[in-house]
Amino acid sequence: MAEMWISMGPQHPMTHGLWTLKVKVDGETVVDTEPDLGYIHRGVEKICEARDFTQITTYCDRLCYASANTWSHSYIYAAEDLLEVEVPERAEYIRLIAIEIQRIASHLMWLGAYGPDIGNLSIMVWCLREREMMMDLLQELGGSRMHYNFPRIGGVKRDLPYGFAQRARAKLKLFLNRIQEYEALYDESTIFLVRSQGVGYAKPEEMVNHGVTGPNLRAGGVNYDVRWAHPYSVYSELDWSAPVERSSIKGADCYDRYRVRIEEMRVSASLALQALDKIPGGADTHYEPEDPMILAKAPSRAPEGTSGAHHFEDSRGESMFYIAGGGEGRGKQPYRVSIRSPIFITIPFAAKCMIGYKVADIPAIMGSFDPCIGETDR
Amino acid sequence: MTEDGQNYSVFNSRMLVDVVGDVTDEALKASRMKDVIGVLAGRVFNWGQRKSLFPLHLGIKCCALEMAAAGASRFDAERFGVFFRSSPRQCDVLLVNGPVSKKFADPIVRLWEQMPEPKWCIAMGECAISGGPYFQSYNVLEGVDTVIPVDVYIPGCPPRPEALIDGFDKLRQKIIRIGVDVDDVRPDSDAPIIIGDE
Amino acid sequence: MGKIVSASVQKEAAEVIVNSISELDGVEAEIVERTNGTHPRNTVVANSSPESWRSLAEKLYSEHAVDHCSMITGIHWPERDEDRKWEVVYHLIRTGVRDPPSEDGVVQPIIVNPSTVRGFGTPVEIEIHVDIADSMTPSVDSVQDIWIGADWNEKETWDLVGIDFDGHEGMRRVLLPHETPRGYHPLQKQHNLRYHGFEEMYDDAQGFMRKPDDVGKIK
Repeated sequence: MAEMWISMGPQHPMTHGLWTLKVKVDGETVVDTEPDLGYIHRGVEKICEARDFTQITTYCDRLCYASANTWSHSYIYAAEDLLEVEVPERAEYIRLIAIEIQRIASHLMWLGAYGPDIGNLSIMVWCLREREMMMDLLQELGGSRMHYNFPRIGGVKRDLPYGFAQRARAKLKLFLNRIQEYEALYDESTIFLVRSQGVGYAKPEEMVNHGVTGPNLRAGGVNYDVRWAHPYSVYSELDWSAPVERSSIKGADCYDRYRVRIEEMRVSASLALQALDKIPGGADTHYEPEDPMILAKAPSRAPEGTSGAHHFEDSRGESMFYIAGGGEGRGKQPYRVSIRSPIFITIPFAAKCMIGYKVADIPAIMGSFDPCIGETDR
Repeated sequence: MTEDGQNYSVFNSRMLVDVVGDVTDEALKASRMKDVIGVLAGRVFNWGQRKSLFPLHLGIKCCALEMAAAGASRFDAERFGVFFRSSPRQCDVLLVNGPVSKKFADPIVRLWEQMPEPKWCIAMGECAISGGPYFQSYNVLEGVDTVIPVDVYIPGCPPRPEALIDGFDKLRQKIIRIGVDVDDVRPDSDAPIIIGDE
Repeated sequence: MGKIVSASVQKEAAEVIVNSISELDGVEAEIVERTNGTHPRNTVVANSSPESWRSLAEKLYSEHAVDHCSMITGIHWPERDEDRKWEVVYHLIRTGVRDPPSEDGVVQPIIVNPSTVRGFGTPVEIEIHVDIADSMTPSVDSVQDIWIGADWNEKETWDLVGIDFDGHEGMRRVLLPHETPRGYHPLQKQHNLRYHGFEEMYDDAQGFMRKPDDVGKIK
């Protein structure tokens, strides 16, 4: 039969970002794929070599713009490993609240964008309505709707505002009710079930060898999560467990990946609520910025030969920063910053998953892996 | 028309339309009605253009999420006639919302060329205006106006959705200044139009 | 309370790996405690020569169930000695992930209890530094066939830093445009950023003393 290459080019309403997916089709069946990235490669790793350690946080927010807090915290933990700083416990709780609310917002953006891929246009405005609620909370904490530049080396930039605990509890409880609306819209829709079940199988051992982690892996029936496997922050003090989906013998399909993210939103909301109850000093006290309860003194220079590395559970998988110290300005700037983006490794795997299915399954499979091209292209 | 020896005449509709068109055109020019109709039609087209700006479904980077939020229910942009279209051939406005890398410079110029006249370009966010925080990068162009003529700049990193809607309003104010002649899409001088500066 | 893998269990698992790989020639390994103040994470940090890298990788994969290649970083050190001018840092993880078993056609998910992991199921982080001697085309053996996650990591390292990988199939530019000239690898230290050393911007941040040429310019 006639085979041809179709290029789903950089500007495409389905692709969740700027990249090209070249697809070789034989009739309607996909025979081969080739992803083409790099359309927003900004050279962040090179730019960071000319910035102080505190200035790099602003770049890390903009890596994956849908979940900015998780990326800036991922960098901050690696920088604290490099500079050997101990973070006060209250600051860790505040960071955990910010990270988990950001994880909810990121999954909501995914859920809202996945609907139009399948054909369900109303879920987009519903999810963005809830995302606005989460962004209001994050705006109170960080000062802006996106790109908060919230953590500092040694703590956070400011404490929970007055009344934040009240508003956060009310909004998170309202959100836990609203999740049921999304489940109803998706699970009771035959079109969604037919389009997402039985499509895009992936088995866990194969996924781990390919480098895929995070919710995509947990959809396959194993609960590997960096938050308990390589522990950081105060997750050990709270009562939670990583959500896992029961997959089929052939592996995890798109429906499992959707369900795991719904459960993750519930777990994140419960984590944030628990953290508000358990925070040392109480959620209603407010310390001034640079109080030692929320910010520890940190050195600003990293001598040559030191390095910092940290694995972090980002909304899309395991992200990692490796920082080699001893750069310009007698160590005020890093020598090399290396960023591991989970989606950079997931996209070739997702492209492989598509082989054998129809052209109409491409948006369903690609969307279910939650690509965010900002972190891919760094 | 009439041939020698024939007793019928051949007169097709194409020739009829041409003849009637020429006659009417001469009559309108003579009585100056053509100028009036031109002004009225120009004003109607101008009203239609600025009340229904269709941007392209192009999301480059972070400002694309604010563009999506501007289209969502809280900051509804659709009440201003702004409706996102997926194909550049159906759009008026190219909303550039992120840094243009060297790899994307060629596709973005091709997208711009595929859009039919009259078209406008809005540079949203710092990265599109001047390269933004990546102005030192080896792979980012210093602003999209190095490759495409830009009409409205919306600063911010990212600009709030209200700022994007205000940017569309500035574009509307610019469109309303276009002359009554529909061919006169761009004014003669090269200086940028600064709204509120008269 | 929440359960995490305890530091002592990770230390034991890391010691097993350290003792085993130190037996190879050209490999020195030790345990480094990385911490950010709350939990120490005992990481295996090893230094390997480029010749013994391939056998080290195979040993880790086959004997120690290291199944996840997290990141490959290439660094250019122009000020170091001749035999250490390039460095490749591999970050690997043993995740302990197994395919869930199926009974009667129904798959039972594997729920690991973090406080009771032991032995080969313990997640361990491994960091390996490979120092490469100076040359115009530094290279190291590829591990694309052992961990498929290393595939695109190696492409990116070659693309940006210039370190080649022997035995890697399908090496191509992934982040830079495909038409980038051969031999241009931006993360090498001889390439500078735009406006490198340009202090005028910071001396006059608001442009009060800007030259008259800029008046009337659109950009």
